[in-house]
Amino acid sequence: MKPLPAALLTGPPLLAAIAAWSPLWLAAATVGAALLLAAAPPPRRLYAVTAIGSGLVVFAINPFVSVQGLTLLWQGPHIPILDTQVTVEEVAYGAGAGMRVAASALAVAAFVRLADPDLLLRALARVAPRSAMIAALATRMLPALERDAAGIVTAARTRAARMSSPRTAAGLLGPLLASSLERSLGVAEAMEARGYGGPRRTRAPERGMRREEWILTAAGAAALGLVAAALVLGTTDFRYYDTLGDPWRPAAMAGAAALAALLTGAATVVRWPR
Amino acid sequence: MAALSFEGVSYAYPGAARPALAGVDLAIEPGQLVLLVGGSGSGKSTLLRAALGLVPHFHGGELRGRVRVGGLDTREHRPAALARQVGLVFQDPESQLVMGRPDREAAFGLENLGHPAGEIAVRAREALAAVGAAALAGRPAAALSGGEAQRVAIASVLAMGQPILLLDEPTSQLDPVAAEELLGLVVRINRDRGVTVVLAEHRTGRLFAEADRVIAMEDGRLTVDAAPPVAARALAASAPWVLPPVAQAFARAGRPELPLTVRAARSLVAAPPPAAVPAPPPFPAAAGAVKAHKRLGDVDALAGATTAFERGRVTALVGENGAGKTTLARAVCGLLELDRGRIDPVPARAGYVGQDPAHYLLHDTARDEVAYALRNLGVPAPERERRVQGGLARLGLDGLGDRHPRDLSSGERQRLAIAAVAVMEPELLVLDEPTRGVDGLHKLALVELARSLAAGGTAVVVVTHDMDFAAEAADVVTSMAAGRVLSDRAPRTLLASGIFFVSQLGLALGRASQADAAALLRVADRGWRSGADVASPPRPELGPPARLESWATPTPDERPAAAARADGTANG
Repeated sequence: MKPLPAALLTGPPLLAAIAAWSPLWLAAATVGAALLLAAAPPPRRLYAVTAIGSGLVVFAINPFVSVQGLTLLWQGPHIPILDTQVTVEEVAYGAGAGMRVAASALAVAAFVRLADPDLLLRALARVAPRSAMIAALATRMLPALERDAAGIVTAARTRAARMSSPRTAAGLLGPLLASSLERSLGVAEAMEARGYGGPRRTRAPERGMRREEWILTAAGAAALGLVAAALVLGTTDFRYYDTLGDPWRPAAMAGAAALAALLTGAATVVRWPR
Repeated sequence: MAALSFEGVSYAYPGAARPALAGVDLAIEPGQLVLLVGGSGSGKSTLLRAALGLVPHFHGGELRGRVRVGGLDTREHRPAALARQVGLVFQDPESQLVMGRPDREAAFGLENLGHPAGEIAVRAREALAAVGAAALAGRPAAALSGGEAQRVAIASVLAMGQPILLLDEPTSQLDPVAAEELLGLVVRINRDRGVTVVLAEHRTGRLFAEADRVIAMEDGRLTVDAAPPVAARALAASAPWVLPPVAQAFARAGRPELPLTVRAARSLVAAPPPAAVPAPPPFPAAAGAVKAHKRLGDVDALAGATTAFERGRVTALVGENGAGKTTLARAVCGLLELDRGRIDPVPARAGYVGQDPAHYLLHDTARDEVAYALRNLGVPAPERERRVQGGLARLGLDGLGDRHPRDLSSGERQRLAIAAVAVMEPELLVLDEPTRGVDGLHKLALVELARSLAAGGTAVVVVTHDMDFAAEAADVVTSMAAGRVLSDRAPRTLLASGIFFVSQLGLALGRASQADAAALLRVADRGWRSGADVASPPRPELGPPARLESWATPTPDERPAAAARADGTANG
């Protein structure tokens, strides 16, 4: 897919995840971004696991590091540093923050998997050639990174490593990074060998936008307009502390439902040609 | 003017204790096809990188002497400028594809060189067609096989139209069929287009006789630089493992001729069909699979495979790509759950060495890498140290224990990965494509290792496309297709009589291994004319056979390269 429709599709859930407070809007952004990622070409699993895992971690941690809210849910034993007095508001805020993190990561992942990295490179090369190349290569190398991760785990298991141990698992991150850097170095060398960095770069002609890309561009623009309007009108606002506000306000429900519907429809169109 | 010249070139990588190139003087004329041979770490890759200015511009380090490409001094011109003159295809296809699709990959270099937009698409398409990859143009690069990716890499260099093409072990990641096709393609590019080709390669069977020159390297120096027949004679004494398998067999048998191709070997010896050899008697199985089924994605990787791997035997597991070999191997090692069927017997301890040795590099020294599994198993320190030393020595790594694993060459990494798993002394050891990137000498060491482990009671399984290696190492051969076992524990003579899975010696002499072929050739020399048990071979019509000792003082013009290519025989 061309970068423009991909950016317009994944931009609204990302914007909502960053700027909205309403749990309904955050849920709509999370579901929409997840559907877009699910419709994107594989590999998707690593992105999904990372995004949802990060969200769950934030959700789980917040009640124990936050000291706010008036509605007591659970009183635990005293543990230094941690707040074991868990309130409904802390749990709700944690859920919202978790969805915020997950939706942001899912939206970025969906963009990475949807946007054609070659076209992205070309589009950005005019304004920031080095950054564009790094971004495009990172996109290209992510599937290889996933394969490397699986290979390193298999190799460690066959050498009697206990993968259930967090220390062992964490110890494999360094080699994974080293493999990734090594591969990047190889690609950089291959690029230099093929004349990258020369003084006068030209571009091969590219195809125009397809019909479904125009449809997705329109859907993405509509979703972006919807989120922008909701932010301006304040329908994405929500109060978590000291007590929870009303999440079921009609404007928030309608807006979130519209965003979810637009992104669901777009995900269907993305998947349709395949 | 030489297409490529080195004048007194020495080079050391940053921080390296010894130079990678030491006093190299070399001139390669336009249109030549040069085969570069030598062991891992001998300097072949560095020589090729120096020709494109990647050494020192990309890698740093200190370069002495002068390298000139098409008249341009690589000190004064960066690789981006030299890329108009020379193209380089690297070993690993996955690390050299920059773009997401083959057609864009082929266009990438042209864009960098500033070709007009209208011309780029046409040349990219033509280059892909020239290497038989036109049908791949729009496919995602991630979905290409190794052979396809390497074709695309060659097309992307070919599209740029440079007069010099360098290839650094381009077949090291490929199966024999893909490798054969690729080397044939390289020869065509040289012959049809007049492109100067310098190719570093371990698999010399296809190219040795085709080359105009063979250059051998050792410790950064050129040790041989001659036409193939002359080079073959010199290398038969100093480094026979770099010769084509048929030439190795003749040298091993002490025969005076050194055929460089299967055809030439056949013209010298009319081998009788091998006698039927039964499979060796069965030993107790260490591991096995019974009606194993496994679905991976949309593919039935295993579809009822049943086999057993015996203690004390080396089993070669062969089959085309996608036959299910690796899936079966991983399943019996407990690294993969079956959908149906069972692993029986289950090995008490299984070791699996996968296809990418980089996955086994977790530590800062080679010694720690080998010790890792033993630490996980709780082996006491004194015994651990003893086994680590033994493991390193067994794989020819005893001088490299303190080196960082990622500073090792690809062949050394492969051996380190094997050492890191074999040191556990597993009941079942699976080596998945162990000869990738490994030079001939260390391939022989791998054969010895597999045999010695089997002699110690280990069930050794080599999953391989390298039929010459399988023929040397294996006691029995198990072949797979479409997730099923086609033939179980066949004798290794199968590799001499196959159609697709057949060693070079099998094609030439009807014998699978070097030892079998050498035995045949010795008999041929002594007994064939007596007619005792074999037919008398026709004498080759190549003039009187020269004696081995007469090859000691060859003259470059005693046998022109073209004539040698015509018959492919190093017969002085």
